[in-house]
Amino acid sequence: MDFVLIQFLTGLSSASALFLIASGLTVIFGVTRIVNFAHGSFYMLGAYLAWTIVRAFWDWGGREPYLFVAGVIVAAIVVSLIGVAMEMTLLRRIYRAPELFQLLATFGVVLIIQDATLAIWGPEDLPLPRPPWLRGFIEIAGSRFPRYDLILAVIGPVVLGLLWLLFHRTRFGVLVRAATQDREMVAALGVDQRKLFSGVFFLGSALAGLGGALVLPSQSANLQMDLSIIAEAFVVVVVGGMGSVPGAFLASLLIAEVQAFGIVLLPKITLVLVFLVMAAVLMVRPYGLLGKPQAHARAQSGMVEPVLRPAPPILAWAGIAALALAASTPFWAGAYALTVLVELAVFVLFAASLHLMMGPGGVVSFGHAAYFGLGAYGAALGLRYLALPMEAGLVMAPLFAGLFGVVFGVFVVRLSGVYLAMLTLAFAQIVWAAAFQWVDITGGDNGILGVWPSAWATNKSVYLWLSLALCIGATMLLRRFVFSPFGYGLRAARDSELRAEAIGLDTARLRLVAFTIAAAAAGLAGGVYAYAKGSVFPTYISIPKSVDALLMVLLGGVQTVTGPIVGAIAYHGLFVGILQTTQYWRAALGLSIVLLVLAFPLGIAGFARARWERAKGLEAA
Amino acid sequence: MLTVTGLNAFYGRAHILHDVSLEARAGEVLVLLGRNGAGKSTTMKSIIGLVRPAQGSSITFDGVEMAGRQPHEIARAGLGYVPEERRIFTDLTVMENLAVGRQPPRDGLAPWTPERLFAIFPNLGRMQDRPGGRMSGGEQQMLTIARTLMGNPRLILLDEPSEGLAPVIVEQMADAIAKLKAEGLAVVLSEQNLHFAARVADAAVIIEKGAVRWQGTLPALENEPEVKAQYLSV
Ligand SMILES: Nc1ncnc2c1ncn2[C@@H]1O[C@H](COP(=O)(O)OP(=O)(O)OP(=O)(O)O)[C@@H](O)[C@H]1O
Ligand SMILES: [Mg+2]
Repeated sequence: MDFVLIQFLTGLSSASALFLIASGLTVIFGVTRIVNFAHGSFYMLGAYLAWTIVRAFWDWGGREPYLFVAGVIVAAIVVSLIGVAMEMTLLRRIYRAPELFQLLATFGVVLIIQDATLAIWGPEDLPLPRPPWLRGFIEIAGSRFPRYDLILAVIGPVVLGLLWLLFHRTRFGVLVRAATQDREMVAALGVDQRKLFSGVFFLGSALAGLGGALVLPSQSANLQMDLSIIAEAFVVVVVGGMGSVPGAFLASLLIAEVQAFGIVLLPKITLVLVFLVMAAVLMVRPYGLLGKPQAHARAQSGMVEPVLRPAPPILAWAGIAALALAASTPFWAGAYALTVLVELAVFVLFAASLHLMMGPGGVVSFGHAAYFGLGAYGAALGLRYLALPMEAGLVMAPLFAGLFGVVFGVFVVRLSGVYLAMLTLAFAQIVWAAAFQWVDITGGDNGILGVWPSAWATNKSVYLWLSLALCIGATMLLRRFVFSPFGYGLRAARDSELRAEAIGLDTARLRLVAFTIAAAAAGLAGGVYAYAKGSVFPTYISIPKSVDALLMVLLGGVQTVTGPIVGAIAYHGLFVGILQTTQYWRAALGLSIVLLVLAFPLGIAGFARARWERAKGLEAA
Repeated sequence: MLTVTGLNAFYGRAHILHDVSLEARAGEVLVLLGRNGAGKSTTMKSIIGLVRPAQGSSITFDGVEMAGRQPHEIARAGLGYVPEERRIFTDLTVMENLAVGRQPPRDGLAPWTPERLFAIFPNLGRMQDRPGGRMSGGEQQMLTIARTLMGNPRLILLDEPSEGLAPVIVEQMADAIAKLKAEGLAVVLSEQNLHFAARVADAAVIIEKGAVRWQGTLPALENEPEVKAQYLSV
């Protein structure tokens, strides 16, 4: 019994921290409809700033508790000002951009903050010195429980109470609740949205900063805090219902307790467990525990998806020329160029497969790396356990990924918008966690080595030709698919679900088929990649990998079929050519993302097409 | 008071309003008449700024140009908007819904308070703490008007206030509009129900396929059976 109590209390204290972060995220989402990836970075900044500020206060006035509290509050306020600065300089310009662009822009900020933190505070973990009052224990049911953790456990409910007062007893709070339901109506009633949005970012970022500062004594400030917390915070927000603060509270309790007991009972699958809970909740309640479907979210924007058109002949010829050039590289370039080209071919297919879902399918997958990774692992596991040769491995890769695509897809295609993006992310995290934690089978972090091509393909030139044939061939098949009757049906389902069903299309099935094909294609890309590298690792499935794919598609433009191809080449070129040469490549990449989103809300190919059409006078007068 | 000239509006590439012009005068009730999909709601949304008027459109309110401004600026200038779908904040109580609409008092007008509004809409006074989501359609319609009045507008745009309401409630609505007019407010309402319009309105504009087809006083409209037959489903 004691053990249960102690685990329960441990769960409560981590629930508090989780709630602080998730409540800020959910309030920001509720009002601005922005999924703020940088929220985890604000949490991290809270910890680092508290480390500096609290220590400065202590140096000045002794290691007193009240100076700790003061330092924590100052840190939270500094973080909230940074949040407001981001809202005013960046997000304010892109509130009308598609959801995904906003998400990517905030991911750009994540990268920038990561490098800025590294530059300011260095790579070491920074623990806060712990005076005796921070180290104390309390006797509970015969066991010693850290006193600070008990204080943390109380802070969560206290903050919930304060937020309740704010939202019910102040005009700002009432406006926030109203705007969470229908911000356009709030504007039509004379409320300046910009002030409301800045206010919400102030509040939300302060909560994130507070959370980071408060966990500092029991954890230490480190550079992994941002992405590790953001995935969990997303889960809490989605499970609780986006925009619902009480929902975030319930969900953080649920998730934290699942973790507290999971780590004891099933230590191998805690991560999987968290995401399974999320998937289970979303299946029963698609909008989370206390969430509601979002009416009026985008209904009035009047955006119309442009028609996809086959490439003009000149573009087709350019493509053939580029392919011929790539295939001829072995005759005039060195080994490094061949390696880069293989990767390029892989990423073109990877991006094109994501594009099939995002563009014509209208399904924005946030975890597309899962299928890439499943393909790679499919080939590697086939080799390890069935001794499959490369030829069979390359068949195995798309099959394995496609199989998971069907299973996950069944759940995914029932949702839409942010919930869908989050569920795909959750599935990807499950796959990642399995690859990472299930060491006996997958080798965990060490991956699976020795995944080499068959003898006839070991020559780099031959493998390049093989990659080009497979990847570019599959990409062309995907394009054919977009312009087939099936592709038209898919686009009809995206543009108007009701009308598509009225003419007898089974929209969910159309999407499921597209999802599966996209997964299989990504799996093939993963398989080709695995044999090119000779190894597979869990990083193939990580969040940054999924973001890579999104960036490639968005860089090229979702609204053209050529987009992902151009995007993959541009992204990879940018990455290999410029970014890897600087020490602060993350910040450089982040800044590029932010600038690209600001400059080309339609992507490069979309921008080029708009130019081209305008030049030809196709633009409607 | 409100002068719209050459208003054009688009949804994406679809051209919805074609050179709509109309004028609403202080102390008068103007009704926009037209069948489903004629463009009445779009006209109102363009005036309040929820739909962006195309280049060249002009919407002046007391001589000040409103076209191209943000909705909150237009609302603060004294234009109140009551949407067709009501758009009550369902999680908020009646009092909270009213609080969202509250704006500073305006010169020359007695500011609206919840008490004064409950005098016009007695039902609301009896359910001050009820969440908007648990009210009947008629009560919600009252609330959405009351909420907009909290902004102390000098002109109020009412999009189909009688739609979907029981006859008794429609009567109450007509009384309420008469009271607003007596308070000195200008009212622009959209309607398909000619009988209701005839009860409350002074002047009418008939819209069909996004263009103005007829305008004049209501008595004048009564004498034009062909116009009524052609553009209205009477
Ligand atoms: N969000 C939108 N996107 C695209 N077209 C729209 C949109 N809203 C309205 N329309 C179209 O604009 C035209 C005018 O619509 P509007 O709502 O202004 O008509 P209305 O006169 O208010 O009709 P009702 O009496 O049914 O309310 C219609 O053809 C309608 O289909
Ligand atoms: Mg209408």
